[in-house]
Amino acid sequence: MTEIQGSDIRKVVVACEAGMGSSVLLVTQLRDRLKGTEVVVEHSPVGQIPADADVIVTHQGLEATARGMAPDKVVVTFSMFLGDPAFDRVVGAIKEGTTLEG
Amino acid sequence: MAALLPPSGIRLGLTASDRFDAVRQSGQVLVEIGAVEPPYVDAMLERERLISTSLGEGFAIPHGTDESRRYIRETMLAFLQFPDGVEWDDDEVIVCVGIAAVGDEHVGVLASLARILTVPESAARLRAAERPEDVLAILAADEEATA
Repeated sequence: MTEIQGSDIRKVVVACEAGMGSSVLLVTQLRDRLKGTEVVVEHSPVGQIPADADVIVTHQGLEATARGMAPDKVVVTFSMFLGDPAFDRVVGAIKEGTTLEG
Repeated sequence: MAALLPPSGIRLGLTASDRFDAVRQSGQVLVEIGAVEPPYVDAMLERERLISTSLGEGFAIPHGTDESRRYIRETMLAFLQFPDGVEWDDDEVIVCVGIAAVGDEHVGVLASLARILTVPESAARLRAAERPEDVLAILAADEEATA
């Protein structure tokens, strides 16, 4: 577990196995919710997480892989593609500048 | 959108024996419309076993693995409706949107789908579509609304 201040988050990466389905959907939803902030949201295969990611959002089934790829980053996991409280945590920390753990 | 989701890729009123049969059928439609080579279907099954592609609201988005991108000829989608529902872990799925994507051309359609699914009445209309034209009209209406 590590943590980051919401105000320090510049890039959120949604990591999935292939980066062609579910992660694409989540990127759209997070971008919508983060409109008006400077935060960049991208998707990527879990094996190719970019080095400048500040927060990684991934399915709980891929958590171990994501943490292995980016051991020093905050990794937030979800289990539902629509309406998982994990997304509220990320958006809340960014908008309110609070601490995000994961 | 017709290039991404051709009317021939919209199949309504189907039945499936289980979740993996529904995924296999989704892959088969992608093969038929010329989106992928047959080995992509096996990759879709593999991906489904790894993590369920069910989104909620009766929709799933089966797709292949990163490694299987080499079997994709063209970025395209398929829309398969199973009116009796398919048991999917703890969910029930009515519609599978099969995905074959090499680039980001399909992102707009998936984004529309995501927005539609956040409004229960819209999701219900899409699940209950009776003609391919209705499916395209519902997806296109969202695109226009957000353009």
